[in-house]
Amino acid sequence: MSQFTEIAIGIAQVFGNLLLFLVIAPFLDGVVRRVMARVQSRQGPPLAQSYYDVLKLLGKENIDSAGILPFRLAPLVAFASILCVIAILPVAGRATALTPYADAISLVYLLTLGGVAVLLGAFASKNIYALIGASREMTTMIMVEPILFMVLLLGVLKTGSLDLTAVIYGTPMAAFGVPGVVMIAVSLFGLQAFVARQPFDIAEAEQELLGGPFIEYSGPNYALFKYYMMLKQMFYAYLPIAMFVPLLGSGFYLVDLALQMVLTVVVFLLIGLLSATHPRYRIDQAIRYFGVLFVIALAAIGAAVIF
Amino acid sequence: MDHSIYTSLQTGILLLLASALITPLLAGKRKWAGSLNFLATLAAAVVFTGIAVKVLGGSAAPATFDLHVDLVWGSLAIPLMIDGFSAVFMVLISSVAAVTAFYCIDYMEMDHYRHYSLRSFFFCYPVFIAGMIALVTVDDLTTGFTIAWQMMTIASFFLIRFDYRDEVIVRSANKYLILMELAWAAVLAAGLMLPGCTWGTPLHQIAEHLGMADAGLRTLVLTLTLLGFGMKAGMFPLGQLWLPDAHSVAPSPISALLSGVMLKTGIYGMIRTLFWMMPDTLPAQEVQYWGLVVAIIGVVTLFIGTSQSLKQVDAKRLNAYSSIGQIGYIILAVGAARYYLGANAALHALALLAILGAFLHVLNHAIFKSLLFLCVGSVQFTTGTKDLDKLGGLFALMPVTAIIAGIAAIAVSGVPAFSGFTSKWAIVGSTLLSGKTAGIFVIFGVIALVTSAMTLATYVKLYGMTFTSVGVEWNDKNNVHEVSKVMLAPKLVLAAVCLVQGFFPWLFVALFGRVLATSEGVLTQTLGTPEVLASLSQNYAGVSFAAANGSPVAFSLPLVMIAMLVVALLAALWLRRAGGAEERTAPVWLCGYQTLNNANRYLSSHIFDAFKKFMKWTGGNVRGA
Repeated sequence: MSQFTEIAIGIAQVFGNLLLFLVIAPFLDGVVRRVMARVQSRQGPPLAQSYYDVLKLLGKENIDSAGILPFRLAPLVAFASILCVIAILPVAGRATALTPYADAISLVYLLTLGGVAVLLGAFASKNIYALIGASREMTTMIMVEPILFMVLLLGVLKTGSLDLTAVIYGTPMAAFGVPGVVMIAVSLFGLQAFVARQPFDIAEAEQELLGGPFIEYSGPNYALFKYYMMLKQMFYAYLPIAMFVPLLGSGFYLVDLALQMVLTVVVFLLIGLLSATHPRYRIDQAIRYFGVLFVIALAAIGAAVIF
Repeated sequence: MDHSIYTSLQTGILLLLASALITPLLAGKRKWAGSLNFLATLAAAVVFTGIAVKVLGGSAAPATFDLHVDLVWGSLAIPLMIDGFSAVFMVLISSVAAVTAFYCIDYMEMDHYRHYSLRSFFFCYPVFIAGMIALVTVDDLTTGFTIAWQMMTIASFFLIRFDYRDEVIVRSANKYLILMELAWAAVLAAGLMLPGCTWGTPLHQIAEHLGMADAGLRTLVLTLTLLGFGMKAGMFPLGQLWLPDAHSVAPSPISALLSGVMLKTGIYGMIRTLFWMMPDTLPAQEVQYWGLVVAIIGVVTLFIGTSQSLKQVDAKRLNAYSSIGQIGYIILAVGAARYYLGANAALHALALLAILGAFLHVLNHAIFKSLLFLCVGSVQFTTGTKDLDKLGGLFALMPVTAIIAGIAAIAVSGVPAFSGFTSKWAIVGSTLLSGKTAGIFVIFGVIALVTSAMTLATYVKLYGMTFTSVGVEWNDKNNVHEVSKVMLAPKLVLAAVCLVQGFFPWLFVALFGRVLATSEGVLTQTLGTPEVLASLSQNYAGVSFAAANGSPVAFSLPLVMIAMLVVALLAALWLRRAGGAEERTAPVWLCGYQTLNNANRYLSSHIFDAFKKFMKWTGGNVRGA
């Protein structure tokens, strides 16, 4: 393959990734809503409801209650940061044109940038509920980001590289050994926190905080935040699949991709089920929960280093 | 032999000392004195930068020089050494000092300081700078060290207790003085303890004697030196004893100097001790053991310092604790580099990455932390308070300061493409990539990452509760406005430097290459080889680090990242406009409260409440918060 074709494919891959996530994420959100409804003996919204929500919000009035730059900037930064994360993600084992420009540490920091944007917007909005939500969101982030990073770190330790393709796909399943199994368990137990769903939707907490950080946002600004949350949710659900479920190795990119997507849908069914059956934790309970998860993950890393 | 750099060094120091004598005479005309002080520090900075350019542009480390001072009762010999390494510190100290001096011109006009004479201030300021410059150029632990250390310590003591009518401030300053004298005594004792070492023995001879000493004495000497310099740097638990108190009570430009550059002299001392004073004849295991001990201290320092910083409600205390945390990163990197320089040649490339991280973080932290202190100083100047529970909503009132503070805050949090990112990337990357060969360092890397999330939380809080959110309108009756241009200009300069550091890290990596080429010692001998240097490559876009087989394993490319973010931002902007939604401003919806006031707002001390309780054991708690 000539260098030119390679670059062209790499660039196509970037757009492919973005398209894939932008198109599927609202559908997956719809799946969660439907599953939750069915468990609670409700009819539930149509699967496409989340698309309708975003489209409708984009046309609604944009109300600015703060009147300062950070308030208007926050939704843009949040959305942009998650787009960057998706653009560098090697989906189904194939590096995009941008993957060679960011390593695992950059990925984690880019993810935190999205969180920072949410907080910035919340702080800018002068609303007490937004501040309470922001405080909880940040607390969750401090505890959860390192756990996600430790999942990736297992790949770093096995391959001795921080390159994303190597980290995520460089290790065959069997080579992960016991620490790998522990990490799968940790990612499953952390899943609801990664995607900010019940029992860990502490920051938004509709019933008590009325949406927390997003309370003052409306119209297109809110649509961007909503879309950001859906994309982030899909990313977090997809990552353990990419990391721990081996590629078919059929040689066909699309087959690998299809399998990964089917599995991601399964993960979302699980998310819906867990959300519908678990009441929300208090923030202090959640911190203790994450603390235990953190220690277990750290022990798995320790084991991976020693053995 | 070319001794011109040492002549220039004396010129620079004499310039500062002359200013110390002349400027106080003008102290009655406050602005004139401030301007003169600035001009003198600027002239000195130019002289010192000239020296640095000459040294770094050279082909090898310059020769050392013995300065003989004839006094009434005899002659005093002070060994001096300016290599690439000290040259960088000289530029850093003198240029930050000059920028800060400009800020002082207007800052010292603050209402609160109106009734204080500036005589002692303008005497101590240049002496303080001269002391720091001297400290990074003297080459012994006795005569020259004592003179430099005392100039720095006593001058800074008087600067800290500038507001002497407040008892708390005087007490903090006294504590600072006592602890710094203890640190001095520790280093001095170490310098005199070895048989054969007396006043004025240069460092390389101390190293030789240290190699011949028995293990017990060796350990004692190294421990004392590291304790002394560690006390200055803010190492856990010694830093907690003095640093937050001293930094939070000094006038803000002085806090900026204390935190931005004075702490770095401690780091300088630690690096000199670990890489220059340790003889090559030392058993490899003992050296690695020292590296490990320092790295452990570093990791504890960064974790504890940052989690204490998260709890503060006083903006300057928050910055001070955060300085301890950031210094912890540097100490961790220095220790890791020392450890990796053992027998295992595979780790040498990682040592390069680690020490590069330390070097970059020294430069980055000096700029963004000075900037943060100057911004908090501006806030204090215009509102009269630094209490985060009372501040809030300043973005609309002082937008330039707010934007500059934003740049500094994202730099300290290590957001990609801003200045803290590449240095933290190098430090964390060097610990993680050691893998099984140095297992414990991987755990240190994870702790460092957790801590950078806490740093982020700290600065989100500082920024959010000062510049966004609400509050100042109830707590401050004065007319709050943007500070004067004289106070904005130095901040703009530092902010520009901060951005350059973030976007073009390769410049500083190239600088580091020059430092290695123009210094002697184990760092240059082991890391300056083409094989090791080849693992680190830099280009216009950023820095990348390659494994032994040549394939890149870690990379930090801020320009690519910023380009990516800008394109994505434009896409997001397009999407926001795509629906053709109308815009309208409306008051905040208060969920039933009639008015927004101080009784129903969320205070800084409420933020992260659950997390602060969870972290209670790390100390530094604020009562009632």
